Amino acid sequence: MTTALLVGAGAVGVRAGRQLVDTPGLERLLVADRHAERAAELAEALGGSAVPYGPLPAGTDVVALAIPGDPAVPYAHRAAVAHVPVAAVSDDPTGLTGLLALDPLARDHGVLVVVGCALAPGLSDVLARHAADALDAADEVHVARVGAAGEACAAAVRRARRERPVEWRDGRPRTARRLGPELVWFPDPVGARECISVAGVETIHQAVPTVTRATLRAADVPPPRRRLLGPPRPRDDWGAARVEVWGWRASARDAVVYGVIERPGVAAGTVLAVATAKIAGLLPAVQLRTPAPGARALGAVVEPAPFLAELARRGVKAAAFEGVTVP
Amino acid sequence: MRNARRIALVVLCALLAGIVVRLRGKGSVPPTNGGWRELEGPDFR
Repeated sequence: MTTALLVGAGAVGVRAGRQLVDTPGLERLLVADRHAERAAELAEALGGSAVPYGPLPAGTDVVALAIPGDPAVPYAHRAAVAHVPVAAVSDDPTGLTGLLALDPLARDHGVLVVVGCALAPGLSDVLARHAADALDAADEVHVARVGAAGEACAAAVRRARRERPVEWRDGRPRTARRLGPELVWFPDPVGARECISVAGVETIHQAVPTVTRATLRAADVPPPRRRLLGPPRPRDDWGAARVEVWGWRASARDAVVYGVIERPGVAAGTVLAVATAKIAGLLPAVQLRTPAPGARALGAVVEPAPFLAELARRGVKAAAFEGVTVP
Repeated sequence: MRNARRIALVVLCALLAGIVVRLRGKGSVPPTNGGWRELEGPDFR
């Protein structure tokens, strides 16, 4: 009997919960949130049970963290100490760094902590790995993203756009100069968006360790539409990610470009649910690239092809750009 | 005369540097013409 603890009942948590209860082999879903009433509401809707936010309930087999980085790190720490595997959705640079820093602890306790299970990082890293596998040698990865799942995610994107960007160059992350926006083409209906370089390239390097240059760009996230009375409208804009991987194929320079469009909450929730189910020992069709314990990025943990196939089966479909490279 | 020789030398160096950068530069232009195709069964093998 597999019991999953879902922490966070926001835009991503709701979608992740729905996907988790639809996963064969998962018998029990526990839901925790800072706001107890939201946890109770989601648990009731999904046929699960609400539990207090903070402690790790006894009998938990796997933890899915659909919360920002700051609270996610101590939660993941508690789970790792209790030998319970964790999948975390946090996409803010501080949260990513804090979760990846749990690597020695996770190794010591023989547990897997999967970091960055969202649209980008997350699905974008898996696509980067898939693209790198299609080349003889990959050395350059450029990821761009549009959209945010909820207000916490939108605030993290705005903060990242204000801070100095970090690029992966010559074997290590380096703080780069802030350059002007660059026009990036995403699949329709998102189309062309102006994106600027931000931090968060560590997961790309983990997914494609041979990379010598990696960048992450993010488009601006507009503030939520206000109502005259009551809370702001929930976000329902399209999100997108574009992954461009350069390398060598048969001694010629070549690029593979993948893209994905989806509501950011749906994409992140589905990615988180599939990653959580896999590390709980479910979904036999999805394979782990490296099952060894540790805290690693999603792109370094899963085999990309079956993972993408499972996402496509659940409605999150990626696309390849078939274009003509100008020499 | 000396200035003219210096200018010629500078122009020659710039030309040589330009040729080297052009021949050795790895920066490529990403594909711009084409379209998106949904990944399907064969892409997942």
